[in-house]
Amino acid sequence: MTSRDDILGRVRARLNRNPENAAAGRAAIEATLAMRAQGPCPAIDSQKSALAGRQQAGTPPLLERLVEKSLAYSSTVDRVGTYAEAPAAVARYLAGLNLPLQAVIWPALARLDWAAAGLTVDTRGAEDHDLVGISGCFCAIAETGTLMLVSGPDTPASVSLLPETHIALVPASRIVAGMEEGFALARAELGQLPRAVNFISGPSRTGDIEQTIVLGAHGPYRVHLILLVQE
Amino acid sequence: MKSRAHRFKENAAAALANPVLQASMRKAKGKFVDKRAIAIREIDDFEATREAAKQIRNRVIENLDLWLEKFEETATARGATVLWAKDGAEICRHVVDVAKRHGVKKAVKSKSMLSEEAGLNLALTAAGIQPVETDLGEYILQINDNEPPSHIIAPVVHKSLDEVADLFAKTHHTPRKTDIPALTREAREVLREHFLTAEMGISGGNFLIAETGSVALVTNEGNGRMVTTLPKVHVVITGIEKVIPTLEDLATLMRLLPRSATGQSISNYVSVLTGVKRPDEPDGPEHLYFILVDNGRAEVVGSEFQDMLRCIRCGACMNHCPVYQTIGGQAYGWVYPGPMGSVLTPLYTGLENAIDLPHAGTLCNQCGVVCPVKIPLPELLRKLREKQVERHLRPWFERLAFRLWAWVASRPGLYGLGARFAARYLTWLADGKGSIPALGLAPEWTKGRDFPAPEGKTFRELYAEKKQ
Amino acid sequence: MRPRIGFAAIELLEAAGCEVIVPASQTCCGQPAWNSGDRAAAAQLAKKVIVEFEGFEYVVAPSGSCADHIKNEYPVILADEPEWCSRAVALGRRVYELTDFLVNVAKLDRVPGSFAGRVTYHDSCTGLRSLGIKAQPRALLARLPGVELQEMSGAEECCGFGGTFSVKFGELSAAIAERKCANACATGAAAIVGGDLGCLLNIEGKLRRMGDHETQVLHIAEVLTAKP
Ligand code: SF4
Repeated sequence: MTSRDDILGRVRARLNRNPENAAAGRAAIEATLAMRAQGPCPAIDSQKSALAGRQQAGTPPLLERLVEKSLAYSSTVDRVGTYAEAPAAVARYLAGLNLPLQAVIWPALARLDWAAAGLTVDTRGAEDHDLVGISGCFCAIAETGTLMLVSGPDTPASVSLLPETHIALVPASRIVAGMEEGFALARAELGQLPRAVNFISGPSRTGDIEQTIVLGAHGPYRVHLILLVQE
Repeated sequence: MKSRAHRFKENAAAALANPVLQASMRKAKGKFVDKRAIAIREIDDFEATREAAKQIRNRVIENLDLWLEKFEETATARGATVLWAKDGAEICRHVVDVAKRHGVKKAVKSKSMLSEEAGLNLALTAAGIQPVETDLGEYILQINDNEPPSHIIAPVVHKSLDEVADLFAKTHHTPRKTDIPALTREAREVLREHFLTAEMGISGGNFLIAETGSVALVTNEGNGRMVTTLPKVHVVITGIEKVIPTLEDLATLMRLLPRSATGQSISNYVSVLTGVKRPDEPDGPEHLYFILVDNGRAEVVGSEFQDMLRCIRCGACMNHCPVYQTIGGQAYGWVYPGPMGSVLTPLYTGLENAIDLPHAGTLCNQCGVVCPVKIPLPELLRKLREKQVERHLRPWFERLAFRLWAWVASRPGLYGLGARFAARYLTWLADGKGSIPALGLAPEWTKGRDFPAPEGKTFRELYAEKKQ
Repeated sequence: MRPRIGFAAIELLEAAGCEVIVPASQTCCGQPAWNSGDRAAAAQLAKKVIVEFEGFEYVVAPSGSCADHIKNEYPVILADEPEWCSRAVALGRRVYELTDFLVNVAKLDRVPGSFAGRVTYHDSCTGLRSLGIKAQPRALLARLPGVELQEMSGAEECCGFGGTFSVKFGELSAAIAERKCANACATGAAAIVGGDLGCLLNIEGKLRRMGDHETQVLHIAEVLTAKP
């Protein structure tokens, strides 16, 4: 007998499994999966905007909440209008930190005019020596100040992971309330889930030594959001 | 991992006598407790969310066989291989087999309690494969001669900065430093090299999602992402009870897990990983294996201890446990400490091998009220005690004492006489200041405190006198 | 152990206008047996208590853990014997912890004592977490003009008593008590007050061992009836 059969066999025995209740159980499973019931979701509000409740994507309360929570998670935030303004905002941010104007970017962002802002970019997955990684995001989650990134040929996961500085471009229309809304968007737009869905909230951190929080454990030391308020 | 749970008393005494551990535990105590209390206030209806989480976990466990089949189907459809392991030895065999198949010489590991259950690091080393723990805490333990963890979330909570400083200087041959960011940077550099060169990543799994065949992985350091992005092989080792139905359920549980564990609204990284990389994708593993582990869990299904299978390994119960706060986690002797460990260790390693653990709690229920999936931990501890009595695992004198006491307590005259005698005896033992420094009948009580002396006559006597 | 507590409880109940009867045959509710896994002994004593007390209008215990045991655990202990179980449930509905009864049922508005000084209150685990005893003792203390209540940090944390735990793991139990005592003493209170004798014995025993012979350790009933 294989271990699979042995383990499942013992579980079945303990649950008094028989053909009838198996059929009923399978039907219950399909119903649960079809229903996708949501648990209680907290209202999304922000200190700046009193409008409570679960907001439509892109509305000001979601944006303000995303900003507040991102800052609370030690990210930094900038606001510009459109994608076209993003390269200059990146250049400003890097110059402000005395970082070289050089980055690895998502292939999905290759269409922007990075050179015009004085940036040298490589369009590929990140490597160990890359100091700055620039990504977009699939969407952003206001509730917790979280970026939701999905992997793919044009959106490699390593860009948000290996470099010490991660910059993410966040179109305002892609700000949703919670994880539920993010998953719903993924189902609607992508069909099946891509290999990696990464939720990122601020720089990597550890508190292992004497519960002292240190940023930059294995991933980025800095996460910088550039909000594109007109996108 | 070999259990030392049968030596709980000695282990606890050693922990009490260890000044470094005592200082570290005192420092850590408030942090987890206070941060959780603040974080749960962000949830409008925390109790309703707890209840929803409990329902999610129960829904799966009540049809566990069918949910496992479902998960196997969806995971396989996305190109993963699902393996099953009855026990720790089989986990080790599977991992070594997979490693050999893909020519693996080094494996980077994100935290996996199952790998602790299995003693996987030893097995890998014996097979010529180098295991490298990458969670900072787990790494510190590994370089300290594979010391066992003392907490499921904060494995080195018992260690002081000085100890870590010594260890790093010795292991990395670098000048000793006591700056925590500098130590963290040093570990980052050492481990980055391992991430880049390992052929295999091993992780645990916080949840398996039946709807999509995915594993959800939660870390703050980002090591979970590293081990599942860079190496060409990814092996997930989880218990069979870890399945949840949908992504919506993951969203609900993620409102509770980080808040209960570290007092964060969310962990820095939550990854939902499904299948292998596409041919045109620049990163991600080419091979994905799930090892679904029994190791005692199947027997708990359908039993009076089934509630325990809901556990999402947040650690809140130990953070709030007065016993854990006092002795740390290693004293519990196996992988899981605190109240959840006191239930799991006897269930998974045998009632007779952890005779003290079900008694190693005051039944204060500080654990039960914080558990995000509403596991009635004190009730489960009490049931384990009952099982011990049923199986005659308690010492004969203890059983006799309770029988005798119940016999006396059923006879009011005798009981009154006994109480009267005890009161006189205790009064006689007192030191003149109302305290008894040493009690022959209960020597354990007076080890660390006095016993307040009674006032002479018993209530029963005085009440009778008054009535006359 | 402390007859004063029993008499103080009676005095309070009488002050609230109740007629109080203490059945001469009562012994113990059986909680120690139940918590040690001895179902048979626990059931034996549970039945005895049910028979003795089911004739009364209310049953009041000056201890949260005894009250909880009768109220919430008897039906579990006797679950296999339906007739006994329903008697246990019926009795349970009329069982109260002392301060809860005084505040919420008897609505005692004047307390007979005149205690004066700073006190701090230890919330016993079972009373607090199973019966919701938190505001009641404080409401009663507030009726004593001379009492200043200074809350300790971690008032809701276990003192380390835990019934048989205290004699199975003496050192561990005492180490937990040490934290409780330190928190309590940090308030500068002249008396540590609680509602469960087990905790009080544990806390007092630890205080005395630590060399503190000044701080009083009192049951809430003693405070509420204290004469100058
Ligand atoms: S028993 Fe509950 S509190 Fe303890 S680790 Fe498991 S889920 Fe968390």
